Amino acid sequence: MSIVSSRYDIARFGMERFSSSPRQADLLIVSGRVTHKMAPAIRQVYDQMLEPKWVIAMGACASSGGMFNNYTILQGVDKILAVDIHVPGCPPRPEALIEGIVRLHEKIRAGIPPAYEIRGVAE
Amino acid sequence: MSNARLRLAFEAVPGVVETREAYAETTLVVDPARLVEACTHLRDEEGFNLLSDIAATDYFGWGEPGVAGYIGTAAGRDLHEPGSQGLAQVPAPKPKRFSVSYHLLRVGDDPARVRVQVWLDEGEAVATLVPVWPAADWFEREAWDMVGVRFEGHPNLVRILMPDDWEGHPLRKDYPLGGEPVRFSGED
Amino acid sequence: MTVVPSTRIYEGTRIPPRVPTILDVDPHKHDLGDILRVNFGPNHPSTHGVLRLIVDLDGEAIAGIEAVIGYLHTGFEKTMEEKSWWKSVTYPARIDYLGFHANEVEYVLAIEKLLGIDVPRRATWARMALAELNRIHSHLVWLGTAALELGAISMFWYAFDDRDAVLDLFELAGGTRFHTRYVQAGGLAEDLPPGFTDEVRKFCAAMPKSVDEYEAILDKQKIWLERTKGIGLLSAEDALALGQSGPVLRASGVDWDLRKNMPYLAYDEVDFDVPVYANGDVYDRYKVHMDEMRESVRIVLQCCDQLDEMDGEPWIADDRKVVLPPRHELHTSMESLIYHFKIVTEGYRVPEGEVYVVIESPRGEAGCYLVSDGGARPWRVKFRAPSFAALQATATVVQGALIADMVAVAASLDFIMGDTDR
Repeated sequence: MSIVSSRYDIARFGMERFSSSPRQADLLIVSGRVTHKMAPAIRQVYDQMLEPKWVIAMGACASSGGMFNNYTILQGVDKILAVDIHVPGCPPRPEALIEGIVRLHEKIRAGIPPAYEIRGVAE
Repeated sequence: MSNARLRLAFEAVPGVVETREAYAETTLVVDPARLVEACTHLRDEEGFNLLSDIAATDYFGWGEPGVAGYIGTAAGRDLHEPGSQGLAQVPAPKPKRFSVSYHLLRVGDDPARVRVQVWLDEGEAVATLVPVWPAADWFEREAWDMVGVRFEGHPNLVRILMPDDWEGHPLRKDYPLGGEPVRFSGED
Repeated sequence: MTVVPSTRIYEGTRIPPRVPTILDVDPHKHDLGDILRVNFGPNHPSTHGVLRLIVDLDGEAIAGIEAVIGYLHTGFEKTMEEKSWWKSVTYPARIDYLGFHANEVEYVLAIEKLLGIDVPRRATWARMALAELNRIHSHLVWLGTAALELGAISMFWYAFDDRDAVLDLFELAGGTRFHTRYVQAGGLAEDLPPGFTDEVRKFCAAMPKSVDEYEAILDKQKIWLERTKGIGLLSAEDALALGQSGPVLRASGVDWDLRKNMPYLAYDEVDFDVPVYANGDVYDRYKVHMDEMRESVRIVLQCCDQLDEMDGEPWIADDRKVVLPPRHELHTSMESLIYHFKIVTEGYRVPEGEVYVVIESPRGEAGCYLVSDGGARPWRVKFRAPSFAALQATATVVQGALIADMVAVAASLDFIMGDTDR
C-alpha cells in the first residue's frame, strides 16, 4: 500500500490506477498469504482478467507459502495462477515491489510473453 | 480490586467444582451441566458484562513423553505425523480431553477478570452461552470448527474459519500440521 | 465518573434475535419479493481485506446482512505449537499486521508471566513507546483507508506520508518497517539505537499539527458529516453484550481503556486522557481515533524522557536460562556457551500453567491465552482478536443504513482480516 503513497510513488512508473474491476486490469498483485478457502476466489478474479495479463506474487507467503507451511495456506500462488514476478520479503519493502514492477516492465519491453503463455495455467 | 471480596463472591457461583488461583488469575472449574446457571450468576450478580474470549484446548497426548522436535523419516521431515512435545518432567494429568475456557471481564468501576472452565470428553457437548452474551456466537463457532467441541442450542453452529466442506478439526492434537515437505535444490 | 453511561443511544437492543451475527430480513418491513441478495467480496475494493458480506438489499436499504470470514485463516495457533518459544515470537506480529507490536507484546508478556522473570525498566518503557507509536501508525492507516473509501481521497496521501515517518522510526529501532519482532521474552531483542529518542521527539513535534490538519480537512466537511453522523449506531449495552472494546466501545460512551483501568507495562506512570464520546456513530469513532493519536504522542514524549534517563541500563533480563548471553561472554564462560547452545537448539522451557494476558491494542482488547506443559514448545496459544469481536457487531450496527453507509460502518469498526481469521 505504501507504494501508492507520496514517498514511494508508483505513479512515476505509470502504475497509480488501481482498478476496482478485474475486467479492466492488466496486472494482478497477490499480496500476502493465500488460504485454500480464498484460492477459488483469486482464481475467479484471475480468470476474469482479459489477456494479456500479468501476475506479481508479492511477498514470501504469496510466492511460496512463506513461514506458514500448514494445512490452510496455499504453498505459493503459482499453484493456481501463472506468476510472472515473485517479490521476496516478509513483508517486502515498497522499494522491492517497485523493483518487481520495473523488472516486469523490462520483461515486457524485452518481448517475453506473459507467464501463462510460457508455463500454461492449470485448469 | 480486592481479592478477598472476589474470592467470597466466587464461592457463591453455582456449579463450581474447583477454584484455582495462579499467576494472579482465578479459574473457576464448573460442571458443564450448570454452565449457563453459573455464567448467568456471574453476569447478573457479579457484573461480568463482557465475554472476552472462549478458548477450547485439546489435551490429547498431554504428559506423554514424546520425541522432541519433528519426526524425521528417510525421505525428510514428515509433516503428516501429529506433533509431539519433549518433556523433562511430566505434567499433572488433566481430567478430560477437552477444556473450554471462558474469559470474562467486568467493565465497570471495579474491574476484574475471571476464567470459567469446563472439561469435556470426546463427543460431549456443553450448553451455548449465546443467550447470556451474544458475543459467544462466533467464538463458539470457532471452537467447534477448530477443536470440534459441540455447543448445544447454538443457533448457527457451522464452520467459520475453514471452508464449509472441510473435514476434521485442525487444532486437535491428532490432526497433522499439514503443508508440503520442503524440497532442497541438491536433492534428486 | 461511571464507566458505563446511563444515557441510551437507542432504546432496547438491536442485536438480531435469532442469530446475533446475522441480520435476517424482516418480512413485516420488506416485501420478500423485492429483496436482492448481493455478495460483497471476498475480493472487494471497499472491504478492508478479504471479508465477504452477503447483503440483502431492498432497493438501497440494507434488509439483511451476514459476514463470512475465514479467507485469511493462516493457522497461527497450530503453527506456533510446533515452534520453540524463542522462534515462535516471529509469528504473532503477523496476526494483526497493522498493530503488530500489540500482538508481539501480549504474547511475550504471557510467556514472561509464566516464566516469572523480571523485565528491566528500560525494556518496559521502550515497549510502551513502540506500542504507542504503533497505535499512531494503525490509526493513520485506518484514517487514510476509511477516508479513501468514503471519497476523501486526499486524506489517504496525507495519512500515509505520516505513516511512512512512523515506519522510519520502527526501521531505526528494529531494522524493518513492520513485523519488527523487536520484543523477546525478557525484554527487547536489541537495545534502542543511539539517537532514537531524538528522532522520535522530532516526529512527535510534527504529529499534533498533522492531526490538526486532518481534522481541519474532515471535521466540518459537509459530505463527511453527512456520511458519518448518525450512521452505524451502537449502544453501550449492545456493545458490551457483543464483546466490543477499544475505540468502538469508547465511541458508545463507555469509559473503558485497559491502559487506565487495568494498567500493564508502565501505563500507570504516564499521564494521558482517554477520549470517550457518547453518540455511538461512525463520526464518534472517528473522533476517538483522532484524539487517541494526540494522546499517544503525549505518552511517547513521556516515554522518551524516561528512556533518556535510563540510557545504558540493560534492555533484557539477565536470566541465562531464557535469554541468550551477550556474545562477548561466550569467549570466556563455559556456562554461557552451554546456555547459548541449549537455548538456540532446543529452546528454553516454560513452566506448566495457563495464563491470559490482555492489552489494549489499537483495535481494542487483544489477549493471548497461553497453555504450557513445561516443554520447549507452547501447548496451546489462543489469540483473542478484537477484530473478530468487532465483526460480530456488523449485523447490529448496519441496521437502518443504506448500501453506501455500509462501507462507512464497516470501516469504522476497524477490523483487520489477519486479526479476525488468525
